[in-house]
Amino acid sequence: MDKFMVIGERIHCISPAIRKAIAERDTTAIFERARQQLDAGAHYLDVNIGPAEKDGVEIMQWVVQAIQNEFDNVPLVLDTANKKAIEAGIKVYNRSKGKPIVNSADAGDRIDNINLAAANDAMTIALCAKEGIPSDNDERMMYCQEMLERGMEAGMEPEDMLFDPLFLVIKGMQDKQIQVLEAIKMISEMGLKSTGGLSNVSNGAPKALRPTMDSVTVAMAIQCGLTSAIVNPCDKILMDTIKTCDVILGKTLYADSYLEL
Amino acid sequence: MAYKKTAKKYSGKISQVTVGTGEKAITLGGKNVLPFYKFDGEAGNKPKVGIEIMDESPSEWSGEFAELYSEAGNDTAAWAKLVEEKYAPDFICLRFEGADPNGKNKSVEECVEVAKKVADSITVPLVVAGSKNNDKDAELFKNVAEALQGKNILLLAAKEENYKTVGAAGALAYGQKVAAESSVDINLAKQLNILMSQLGVKKEDIVMNVGCAAVGYGYEYVSSTMDRILLAALGQNDESLQMPIITAVSFDSWSVKESLATEADEPQWGNQMERGIHMEVSTAAACLVSGSDAVVVRHPKSLETMKKFVNSMM
Repeated sequence: MDKFMVIGERIHCISPAIRKAIAERDTTAIFERARQQLDAGAHYLDVNIGPAEKDGVEIMQWVVQAIQNEFDNVPLVLDTANKKAIEAGIKVYNRSKGKPIVNSADAGDRIDNINLAAANDAMTIALCAKEGIPSDNDERMMYCQEMLERGMEAGMEPEDMLFDPLFLVIKGMQDKQIQVLEAIKMISEMGLKSTGGLSNVSNGAPKALRPTMDSVTVAMAIQCGLTSAIVNPCDKILMDTIKTCDVILGKTLYADSYLEL
Repeated sequence: MAYKKTAKKYSGKISQVTVGTGEKAITLGGKNVLPFYKFDGEAGNKPKVGIEIMDESPSEWSGEFAELYSEAGNDTAAWAKLVEEKYAPDFICLRFEGADPNGKNKSVEECVEVAKKVADSITVPLVVAGSKNNDKDAELFKNVAEALQGKNILLLAAKEENYKTVGAAGALAYGQKVAAESSVDINLAKQLNILMSQLGVKKEDIVMNVGCAAVGYGYEYVSSTMDRILLAALGQNDESLQMPIITAVSFDSWSVKESLATEADEPQWGNQMERGIHMEVSTAAACLVSGSDAVVVRHPKSLETMKKFVNSMM
């Protein structure tokens, strides 16, 4: 079994520094965040350029090439609603360290992104949702099945699809948490890989609580079979938790300095 | 149904470490499959077999060893030369038994002189083993590494207690190779490699000595330790365990009663030397199939047997 895959979330246009960097085509802030995340142990980096309706193609190609040139072809998750930008990004993407991942497809309007990934030999994140939050796990798993079938018809290997159960905020949706964990378990029992935006769970909670909430959630989710997550790798408690889960599950061998690796 | 051949592919690969210089230099490691599984992929460099000598007279081992090496008298350098010319080992392991503070406690200077003379008398790579006293060995390794700069020797070995001195002096300051010793403890094996790497020692300069036991004396722990190291190194692509393994078989196999008891002590057991060789060969063969990239043996017959074994396997 592979180690838990950590996707770094910090290159996101929601951050003013990144938005400015993209607008000015200045790599400084982007490289700084890429370096911090890689030093902290991220395996993949998510690159969110926003909707980028106008110049998405150009932005995505610029940012993919810049990051991969600077960081030894680090594998990337291409994150935008602009399909043409994703395709353009894949065209210039170097896959020596791992396939590009399309973020994301869902069972609704964005289901074609599965075909986009298949046509370009990319992986995809497949969000188990159609319109809004699924009401229960029957609905979630129906979407999961639909997307799996779509992918296989398009010639994808199931292992190139990362199913996202949709992590939900704890504060306010406490009663839905067990359901999400059970969905992960069902996805895992189907032999499928999974991922998700982990920090959703601690949204709106005081900053001091977030590392604890994220860490405990990820540990419980890993026990249910979660194989990767989109996280803030600079959160040391969270990364220590993930590394410890890998040790407990025998995916990596224990040594006194295992947290330093 | 027709037979379909499947190969087990691993993502990781054992690094390659070169010891010695010139034509006789040896390279350990390089495999990306289980030992000798050449049908699955790249089996790497042939495992190497070296012979043990020491800074004292061979008569300390037994009368028969003294007789075997009588031509060399009590001269360690002559002994080394004799061994190279007569038995053609892949490398020679010089062990400083005499440096032990609880034994003859020879000075570091005296040992360095012996090491220099031995290194100058041979063309095969030199592996230097200590007295098993951590503090003395740290001093000894540091000075031998300095004196033999350029010879690309392997220091056997750095332990948790002295890796800083041995690693810093041996590998960083004087460019030698260093073995990291853990006594059949897989977690310590990984930890020592991490510590050595954090010290700045490059992966290509580190060999692992994961420990040994004579067959019948807990060897199964050695075997399972090596299995787990290889599976982590290859299967989990764990870079902190991708160093080749050297095993000093003779240090253990000649110190158990099957090798030590004289014929007078155990008349039914037969010839003592033959017993020793049997213990050594059984242990060394078990180590090679468990994953050792190099083994140290004591008797020339064991060397011959193990070389034949390796050559017929790959």
